[in-house]
Amino acid sequence: MNTEMENEDSLYPIAVLLDELRAEDVNYRLNAIRRLSTIALALGVERTRDELVPFLEESIDDEDEVLLALADELGNFVEYAGGKEYAHLILGPLENLAAVEETLVRDKQQIETYYIPLVKRLSEGEWFTNRTSACGLYATAYKNATVATQIELRTAFKRFCSDDTPMVRRAAAKNLAAMAKEISKEHIISDIIPTFIKLSQDEQDSVRVLTVEDLISIAETLSLDEIKTYLLTPLRSMVSDKSWRVRYMIAENFVRITKAVGEEIIRDELVLAFVRLMKDNEAEVKTAASSQVPGFAQYIDKQTILIHIMPCVKELVTDTSQHVRASLATQISGLAPILGKEATTEHLLPLFLQLLKDESPDVRLNIISKLEQSLLPAIVELAEDKQWRVRLAIIDYIPLLASQLGVSFFDEKLGSLCMSWLRDHVYSIREAATMNLKKLTEVFGVDWAKNTIIPKVLSMGSHPNYLYRMTTIFAITTMAPAVTPEVIRDYILPTVNNLVTDPIPNIRFNVAKSYEVLIPVLKQSQETGILLDTQVKPALDKLKEDMDADVKYFAERAFLAESERSLLDTYGKR
Amino acid sequence: MGNSDLDRFVGSQHVLTLRVSSELFELIKRINFCRQIEKIRNCELITEGEVRRLCAKAYEILIEESNVQRVDAPVTICGDIHGQFYDLMELFRVGDDCPKTNYLFLGDFVDRGYYSVETFFLLLALKVRYPDRITLIRGNHESRQITQVYGFYDECVRKYGTADVWNLCCDIFDLISLAAIIDDRIFCVHGGLSPTIQVLDQIKNLDRMQEVPHDGPMCDLLWSDPYDSSDMDGWSLSPRGAGFLFGGDAVASFLHMNDLELIARAHQLVMEGYKLMFGETLVTVWSAPNYCYRCGNVAAILELDDQLNQTYKIFDAATEENRVPVKTILPDYFL
Repeated sequence: MNTEMENEDSLYPIAVLLDELRAEDVNYRLNAIRRLSTIALALGVERTRDELVPFLEESIDDEDEVLLALADELGNFVEYAGGKEYAHLILGPLENLAAVEETLVRDKQQIETYYIPLVKRLSEGEWFTNRTSACGLYATAYKNATVATQIELRTAFKRFCSDDTPMVRRAAAKNLAAMAKEISKEHIISDIIPTFIKLSQDEQDSVRVLTVEDLISIAETLSLDEIKTYLLTPLRSMVSDKSWRVRYMIAENFVRITKAVGEEIIRDELVLAFVRLMKDNEAEVKTAASSQVPGFAQYIDKQTILIHIMPCVKELVTDTSQHVRASLATQISGLAPILGKEATTEHLLPLFLQLLKDESPDVRLNIISKLEQSLLPAIVELAEDKQWRVRLAIIDYIPLLASQLGVSFFDEKLGSLCMSWLRDHVYSIREAATMNLKKLTEVFGVDWAKNTIIPKVLSMGSHPNYLYRMTTIFAITTMAPAVTPEVIRDYILPTVNNLVTDPIPNIRFNVAKSYEVLIPVLKQSQETGILLDTQVKPALDKLKEDMDADVKYFAERAFLAESERSLLDTYGKR
Repeated sequence: MGNSDLDRFVGSQHVLTLRVSSELFELIKRINFCRQIEKIRNCELITEGEVRRLCAKAYEILIEESNVQRVDAPVTICGDIHGQFYDLMELFRVGDDCPKTNYLFLGDFVDRGYYSVETFFLLLALKVRYPDRITLIRGNHESRQITQVYGFYDECVRKYGTADVWNLCCDIFDLISLAAIIDDRIFCVHGGLSPTIQVLDQIKNLDRMQEVPHDGPMCDLLWSDPYDSSDMDGWSLSPRGAGFLFGGDAVASFLHMNDLELIARAHQLVMEGYKLMFGETLVTVWSAPNYCYRCGNVAAILELDDQLNQTYKIFDAATEENRVPVKTILPDYFL
């Protein structure tokens, strides 16, 4: 009971402060800030460090006056936080303040008076934690410091890069990029680059990893010749670094690097570097490289993509790591617009297909999730390509796509496309389209076929153009083995029977051929078996007497096939 | 089972075979021709014996045909093929196989391409198997003289070792019809018109069973070209040295005299595959893509539906993977 009371008591000042800091009235908030030292004192050093400082760091006020007051208070705050040793803790809120636009707050004078000495104090701190924290303040300090101070700061920062403690060197590496953005080019070349080179060769890979970011920032400030002179060697050694984490970082940021270095280096250096990363031994590196493929491909010409990049991509599609494949599945569709129609059909679609069949659901999911935005428009466009072989290639993919997409998505996005191929003016396309309908029936089931495609196919059977009627005959004959005898009886057979008297002999002999296929399917059940005698045989008898020799021949053949089967059935039963 | 029983059993089988034999024989013959068609389709050479049997059957069929063969729509009209066998396969992929689609080939099956033998035998085998589904008419290259210069003779000798097959083929060439008429509306011929022919009956009265003459109406039908120019009408000499150049008025008068609407012919390379002239009263159809394997042209076929509506289908040369490497059979005298 007592401890609880105590706790409540001790929490009280904070609760009041929180309330006041949130008050509408600026004066309340100002008062609260001015009482910070009292509160800190009441809380004690430990709780000041653990609770008050993080709170202040998070809540940045938007009233300049309040901020100014906070800056004042923070200047004296080190002792409440436990002395010099812990001073770095209040740098967070201080840094926030330094970033605020208002000159009243970020006054040069104030920086020089409070901020710089603090930075210096930290920089010379004995504990590495101080120096580590100091690193984070240099970029802001440098921007706002006088020229004289800037020289001092540059020299001090260089010292961090050869600090004994890896933690400090790591912090330096991490903040070098920010420094590079504030420093003039002249000093980048004289001071920053030597520092960067030193860090990039650090014995600790955790330091080297961080210099990738520095490389990009520095490259962004340099001209092509300067990049060649200063950055190529470190870049090359990063790509082949013995630590995979460095190579990973390079791979992860490859597009940004590409953007920073310019065309000539891309052609001479980066293409092969990228190939190397895509062929890395470590799955993590390959995963990262995979994520950069379309981004990087934008910067190189199509020929180079086909010669250098595509063979690697092809290998990555069958990589043993599913993470590599999953990463590729997310990105690969981005290559389609870059490669153009022909290369997409030839090189990319087979890879899509492969990934759609992947054993890992993540991979399949990733490729399908990209389908609608990039793959599907590509397919729709290619499906209407002028070259019939391109259209043919697309049709071949449809059953697989259908099985992955599911029936409702298919009906909505691809259904009408599949029907339009039945009216294509090239025969091979119409033929493939009918095969496609059969395969779709196998994927989605007979009921689906009965309700969606069969009515459309049958309606073409009464079209005035004989080619459409021909397609109906082909399509239903092709689909017959995939549907049930009942569907044949109720839907297909009546249409075929109708075409027995078609004026075009080519239709009539294909009707005869169609009966040849339908007979064994009808025999599958007793119910439809009787249709042979009542419908099929009379129709064939009629066709056998046709004027046209070919109609007669195919009717004869269908008839013989039928009797042969009956004979076999009779003798088979004995 | 006693001996007599066995005899009776064998005997009854025999009778059964005899009874159905005429029907079966027809069937087997047809199936054999189908097998032959399949063989040629794979660009396999048929044997000289098979060639003899094929030509004998073709003789029976072609000799019965008229000089102006009647054809019913729907039908697909094809121009020059010139031994480009794999492109002919491509043509069938675009237009569908014979017999499902009816075809009319306007001549020039042989010469220039590498596969004149296979091309001609495939078309001939189709004609023999499906005489009502495919019509062949004669081109100026279906001639002894021309084939000796432009490759067919050499190809026959190279592939069969002797000129016998060439001789057999030339005898067949002499039997091929000179023209066709579709539904009494469309006149089809390899080259064009002749100044000595005004009505179709004049063609029907020609004696076609001979080598193509150097001049006269039969020569003109296979050699003439249309010529569209404002300063020329009627007839003029052809730079080819055989046949004539004929203008729009010659076409108009021929169509009027015979109550026709269109002349379909081949004979001239058209880069776009087909070309309509004289207010769409004459069309040139060219079906050899990338002619001579280097002209870079596309090919076309003209599909006529049962209402005679025209659809032109354009296609390119067959892709590499649709060709098999050339098998060269050395003549015997090299062995």
